[in-house]
Amino acid sequence: MTDPFDGVPHPHPGGPLSGYRVVDIADEKGQLCARLLAELGADVIKVEPRAGDRTRANGPFFRDEEGRESSLYWWAMNAGKRSITCEMRLEAGRDLFHRLVAGADAVIETSAPGAAKDIGADPRTLAKVNPGAVVVSITNFGQTGPARNLPATDIVGSAMGGHMYLNGSDECGPVRTSAPQAYAQVNLQAAVGAVIALYARGANDGLGQHVDVSMQESMANAMDNAQQTWDILQINNRGPGSGRMVSGREGPRYIYETADGWVAALGLGGLMGPTSGAMIDWLDQTGEAGPLTAPHWRERLEVVQPLEEDEQELLVGIMQEFCRTRRKDDLVREAQSRGVGWAPVYSPREIVESDQLAARDYWVQVRHEDIGETFVYPGAPWKLSGTPWKQRGRAPHVGEHNAEVYGDVLGLDTDEVAKLRRSMVL
Amino acid sequence: MASNGSKPKPFEGLRVTDLSWVGVGPTVAKYLADHGAEVIRVESATRMETLRRAGPFTDNQPHYDNSGYFANFNSSKLGVTINLKTEKGKVLLKRLVAVSDVVTESFTPGSLKKLGLDYEELRKVRPDLVMISMPLFGQTGPWAHYMGYGHVLQAASGFNHLTGWPDGEPIGTGVAYTDFLVPHVGALALVAALDYRRRTGKGQYIDFSQFEGAVHALGTSILEWTANGREAERLGNRDPEAAPHGAYRCKDGRYVVIACFTEQEWEGFRAAIGRPDWTDLERMRRKWSRLNEQKEIDRHIDFWCRERTAAQAYKAMRDNGVPSGIVKSPEEMHRDPQLKHRGHYALLEHPTMGLRTYDSPAFRLSKTPGGPSKAAPLLGEDTERVLKDTLGMSDEEFTELLVEGALE
Repeated sequence: MTDPFDGVPHPHPGGPLSGYRVVDIADEKGQLCARLLAELGADVIKVEPRAGDRTRANGPFFRDEEGRESSLYWWAMNAGKRSITCEMRLEAGRDLFHRLVAGADAVIETSAPGAAKDIGADPRTLAKVNPGAVVVSITNFGQTGPARNLPATDIVGSAMGGHMYLNGSDECGPVRTSAPQAYAQVNLQAAVGAVIALYARGANDGLGQHVDVSMQESMANAMDNAQQTWDILQINNRGPGSGRMVSGREGPRYIYETADGWVAALGLGGLMGPTSGAMIDWLDQTGEAGPLTAPHWRERLEVVQPLEEDEQELLVGIMQEFCRTRRKDDLVREAQSRGVGWAPVYSPREIVESDQLAARDYWVQVRHEDIGETFVYPGAPWKLSGTPWKQRGRAPHVGEHNAEVYGDVLGLDTDEVAKLRRSMVL
Repeated sequence: MASNGSKPKPFEGLRVTDLSWVGVGPTVAKYLADHGAEVIRVESATRMETLRRAGPFTDNQPHYDNSGYFANFNSSKLGVTINLKTEKGKVLLKRLVAVSDVVTESFTPGSLKKLGLDYEELRKVRPDLVMISMPLFGQTGPWAHYMGYGHVLQAASGFNHLTGWPDGEPIGTGVAYTDFLVPHVGALALVAALDYRRRTGKGQYIDFSQFEGAVHALGTSILEWTANGREAERLGNRDPEAAPHGAYRCKDGRYVVIACFTEQEWEGFRAAIGRPDWTDLERMRRKWSRLNEQKEIDRHIDFWCRERTAAQAYKAMRDNGVPSGIVKSPEEMHRDPQLKHRGHYALLEHPTMGLRTYDSPAFRLSKTPGGPSKAAPLLGEDTERVLKDTLGMSDEEFTELLVEGALE
């Protein structure tokens, strides 16, 4: 607590996007996108209404205490940004927003198609304000088309994007991932669109453009080979439970219970295909290979071919027995040393405690000087040799950077800022 | 697909040597190819690309030029074969890199160094090269050499733990999930590095670990542990902040999803099902209270859905402004009017596979539109053309390399 605290976000002049300014008026569909741009060096300014952004009410909360500065969602998605307040529904607010956009390289917005106009954030208006700005619009289904105005959340994006059909099982139905993936996907794919449009300014006389991103399409891109399997074979892949779907058929299970959790091991733990010999040897050495040591099994398993149901049952049984008494990390280490590509099923805690990530110096300590705490956050998604990634400190408080942004960036003096505050614009 | 040929493409004039394989690397390079870069996919028949051996195959005929799995990740690319195990193959690759701006690769760490083709060597022939390596676990650490595919990486990176029913197994998504997640993370860094190079002339090396990228897609799960000391768990289709929230089976066996985060959405939901008495009970009136009644709410919805088709249930929800949808099958995705309108599935003619659908990027650029422009290459389809036209190789030298097996 006695250390000097220089404020957030920490400067990041060495990032590949340093020198760019990004204005972020996005919700769940665009905040991670903007955060990643900040960690690549951009100066990201989050614009919030005076009462704070709606997503500050997203849980879970630190120590379960609800409050606009205690949302773990807000912390995770908005770290490294500056925050200003601005009532964009007021004309004076829109003017300020436009002055901000005039000096920006990109705007990330997520309003429903057509609705951005009401707050002066539609691409046409923004292109007039700043023809060089890239305007990234992230919506449920895209800016155009019959579904463009339909409401959606993460689970709707997952369902209407075809991904959810491929998860779950016949008995229990489709299932979504509890950490929202339609939101994650559309954020990440929007970020790629944003940097491609920034790059394109070089070939396009410095002109920005509109990037129209669809959450539905971002999930459609996560259908593995199910799209092509329908196109080519007219077969619908579907949720395979704990197995793996191959051309509409449920393959054998790929997760096996261990003494302390689960392991993931494709192709019957490697018993099918080119690694089958290595697996049989391993089972043989521990005396658990059963009938598999017979030459006909070795020949049969080396060439990948569909197994009869009773054969499959036998093999799954052997694998289940083998895994049940052992620890997952030991199993994975040994399998990998034998050239078989297993991995442990890890929980968030186990990911945080992972030896691999520790060896890579992955995690970063993020100081929350306001509550006198420091927490571990995910680290660099990439190690760039010339322009490193950087975590830039905790997420901002509501309007934490009003003075510096309105003062230094827009050049307003303190009287003007006070006046805007009185008229409830800031 | 936008097909305005006169508009410039963002990466026109950029050349990429794509040494990557399977899912992740080729998808990263596909972004560049679909947006105008000349991407030269380098393969070898001596170590066949895994996905060329994986279906679906056209006419159910397994053949390395018939795989839809391979095709989708390699649209808009050229196909060249070089055997990097031969001395001449290595020299040839360096010649190609010398005229390339980008190298993408996803070999086991150390493989390229063993061949004398790692970044340190390649930058000697192309000082402003941008190179990205993207194996599962990065270039260093005890797991650096670990093998596997997206199906097992989703397990290591938390997606199995977080997908399934609370009392059931950690089934994970039904797909090789990280293969369809981390390419976007990798492409973001690569294009950012290219933009930096555009402005400064400086190249660099990117050590990308798929694992480390995937962790950023876990929402609040990491902070829930590190700040609150609590493990996020798989919740089936429930959501801690919405009630109702789930997927419900309808009369026709199909599923609708319904999500009510706000009171307004709840009121829409009530209207959609005809405001039955149970929705007016005291404990149903506020979300914080409804969150404790999810079992009962789900029972009512299950009952309501059982008497309706998914289309009927969805229409009732949609007409009342409730975030809702149908769990669409691959077939329905191909017929989806919205995706049709957007041109999401690009139709491209492939020499042996015929007219096939390819995924487009999830975004449309208004001035420099991208999208798949050419079907995936046959194995080695463009070897001769690239070597002769791009590298200016003589007929004699080409024949010599061919005979010596450097182009296998």
